[in-house]
Amino acid sequence: MTVSAQVTPGSVPPAAFEEQEAIAGRSLGQLAWMRLRRDKGAMTAMITLIVIIALAVFAPLITRMLHIDPLSFDDKAVSQDGGLPIGPFGGMSLAHPLGVEPGTGRDNLARLLYGARVSLFISFSATIITCTIGVLVGIVAGYRRGWVDGALGRFMDIVLAFPLLLVALSMAPVLTQRLQSMGLSGNGGRVLYLILVISIFGWPYLARIVRGQVLSIREREFVESAVSMGAGTSRILFREILPNLWAPILVYATIVMPSYIALEASLSFLGVGVLPPTPTWGAMLADSVRYFVVDPAFLFFPGALLFIVVFAFNSLGDAVRDALDPRTGRV
Amino acid sequence: MAKAGLRAVVFAAVGALALAACGSGSGTSPSSSAGGGATTATSGPQKGGTLYILTNEKQFLHLDPQRNYTGTDLAFANGFLNRTLTAYKFAPGDGGAQLVPDLATDTGTATDGGKTWSFTLRDGVTFQDGSPITCADVKYGISRTFATTVITDGPTYAIQDLAIPTDAKGNSVYLGPYDTSSKNDVAAFDKAVTCSADNKTITMHLNQPVGDWNYAMTLLEFSPVPKAKDTGEKYDDNPVSSGPYQIENYTKGTSLTLVRNPKWSQASDPYRHAYPDKVVVQFGLDPSAIDQRLMADSGPDQTAVTLGGLQPENLATVFNDPKYKDRRFNGYDPYVRYLAINTAKVPNLKQRLAMMAAMDRAAYRTIYGGNFAGDLADGVIKPNLAIDYKPTNLWTGLLGQNIPDNGDPTFAKQLIAQSGAKMPTITYDYPNTPTQSKVASAVVASLGKAGITVKPNPIEPGQYYGVILDPKKADELMYAGWGPDWLNASTVIPPLFQPNGGFDVSQYNNAAFNAQINKAKATLDRTAQGAEWAALNVEAMKDGLVIPTLFGKIQYLVGSKIGGGYIWAPYGCMPFGDLWIKS
Repeated sequence: MTVSAQVTPGSVPPAAFEEQEAIAGRSLGQLAWMRLRRDKGAMTAMITLIVIIALAVFAPLITRMLHIDPLSFDDKAVSQDGGLPIGPFGGMSLAHPLGVEPGTGRDNLARLLYGARVSLFISFSATIITCTIGVLVGIVAGYRRGWVDGALGRFMDIVLAFPLLLVALSMAPVLTQRLQSMGLSGNGGRVLYLILVISIFGWPYLARIVRGQVLSIREREFVESAVSMGAGTSRILFREILPNLWAPILVYATIVMPSYIALEASLSFLGVGVLPPTPTWGAMLADSVRYFVVDPAFLFFPGALLFIVVFAFNSLGDAVRDALDPRTGRV
Repeated sequence: MAKAGLRAVVFAAVGALALAACGSGSGTSPSSSAGGGATTATSGPQKGGTLYILTNEKQFLHLDPQRNYTGTDLAFANGFLNRTLTAYKFAPGDGGAQLVPDLATDTGTATDGGKTWSFTLRDGVTFQDGSPITCADVKYGISRTFATTVITDGPTYAIQDLAIPTDAKGNSVYLGPYDTSSKNDVAAFDKAVTCSADNKTITMHLNQPVGDWNYAMTLLEFSPVPKAKDTGEKYDDNPVSSGPYQIENYTKGTSLTLVRNPKWSQASDPYRHAYPDKVVVQFGLDPSAIDQRLMADSGPDQTAVTLGGLQPENLATVFNDPKYKDRRFNGYDPYVRYLAINTAKVPNLKQRLAMMAAMDRAAYRTIYGGNFAGDLADGVIKPNLAIDYKPTNLWTGLLGQNIPDNGDPTFAKQLIAQSGAKMPTITYDYPNTPTQSKVASAVVASLGKAGITVKPNPIEPGQYYGVILDPKKADELMYAGWGPDWLNASTVIPPLFQPNGGFDVSQYNNAAFNAQINKAKATLDRTAQGAEWAALNVEAMKDGLVIPTLFGKIQYLVGSKIGGGYIWAPYGCMPFGDLWIKS
């Protein structure tokens, strides 16, 4: 019998054992993965995401193969009477498979592919930072309790009380300037700024969830026994308690990731996003809403892609939660 | 002075004529009658109703007359609130360039070869409190311009041209009405601007002859302000009306409501008709929403116009659908749009010329709507200044070879190679709007093809001109637009290319060029003067001061019950003060 080192017996719900009685010797992770694999919706979502991420990663290759470019203007593709794309569905043609941007004739497909790189990079990075800070603060606050918990709790309240969009807008010029003087000019600074802003205001939500979980976990027997056996605080936090938190963390990450893509979109929409001519989904959406009556295809493609990614992440998040914690059945 | 417009941020000064060859207005503008500046329409203008003016701006930049220097804002304030000595006729097409008397009985009398100008006020003209408008009020209004620390952003023709001595630094010895120190030479001002014994005739003495000084009187800089009601900087919020309407309520960000001024009399004001009973300006609306509302044309929006023009994305819809044909307008505005090159930051001529050669001007025009955007420009003087305009051949050989509309990166690379220096990284300043962001992309892409690295620097539109007019903050390349203050390139070349010219974004200071400007200013023969301005325009292009992009056009859509609409050439907008509501 292989005993999973990182999973303490107390953390495995009895229900899970009953269900899987015939097959012995699987770790919690393996069990969860098995359940996830049986979930068709989750697998579809996961494959969709993998495809989109692959498209983003290989964007330069794909655009070169299709002879499209996100930055080149094409004034033959748009009308000289108003700048709208020539041709049906926003100027769809062999040369421009998803049509072109009104006014400039830049290729929508190329811009969507390159935009995915920026948008996904920002949301992935912000999610990782948010989760790291959130878990660290939450776990310490929940375990230490007392004044540490009080102080961290108030600090979280303060951060949560800031109106994110207002602060992001007002800090943008100052912070980007500061990043510039640190040698990060142009888009590097802008992208870092977006990641920082999203992370700074994102972590308290997870920290609160984690703190709540830790408050109950720390009273469990395996923690007490670890304490009585003289384990150090960091061992208790990261070897005993943390493994029991993966479910909420993963669920939170999959739910928050799409909201960060959307947040990047709204920050770009409000003009503190990435500089032109670099495309992002947010900037493309911001631009396309003005055209929703006259050129709906221009709004449809970035909108649909954002919808698909958000939907896929959310379904995956749900499925991961179900897989990790089968007691909470599907609604 | 800076105008954050809907379609474009244009540095606005008051305009001049519509392009003679092109006319203006594609809609069913009423034909103009011959006399008195009156407009007659086929179905007949009538009084009554509420006129709505929709804008995405949060407020009028300035309602203080001496500080108002934005094309549309001037057209608005002059039409409803502030009377001026002279005004542009309410007429479509070329007729809009005609100067007509407003507060004055005629368009002024020049003596001493154009060095002295007098205007006599009409009988019965009053402010909204009923007190008569006298020469002293006009004189006081002019004096406010000199208080440059309080009265900011306005035109400065009074400071430049009135015969008032300057100190060693070149600043006027008169410091305006608020400065009570002994340094302030009030006597110098009293000598330059005098009132007749009956307080009805104002006489202005200039430091050199200005043949068309009476055109400057159309600027609100020269409109009356009652000294007793002047609140200095705060006058902006509650200016005293001399026109047919007065402010009932002004809530910045929301609305401005004008109601009839009971003290105004039609007999004293043949220029204005004051058709609507009420005028409501709605601020802070989304530009797309404004267009959608006007296209839908329901309820009160039937009597609505926009302050600025149509958004580029709606041009095709509005101009292709016949249902809009009676309420859409397309015509030339007074503005030239260009990218200003900061000569202080790019001192190398060949490098400046390389930027001009590389720029994809066709892309710029397409972004603004192609044929709706206007014509590709070849200089800073627009053909509407018929006497001063001459083709510069900028793109057809002036720089050594033909440069196509899409730019010539190869030629640009040659120029950079000839420059003998490393091309610096170019930072491009622009107001952060969706359309301007696309222009920034075009700048980055086309200059990039010539190996020039461009960093876009978006600036909040409300602060844009404040930033680029500050030499410490201005970067290498900047979006800009300029319209002449009146029909003379003396209101184009000097402000743009002379130190302290008012809009010297290129930060150009060339002694020989300045000398030629002063010579042209002093040339009284208008044809000879026009040739001098045209030559200076060519000179400015050869010296790579700006990349001219567009001789602009503007498009408007108005509600179906708006009567009297046309593109009013002097200001490139609707003739707000002469619109009427159909029953």
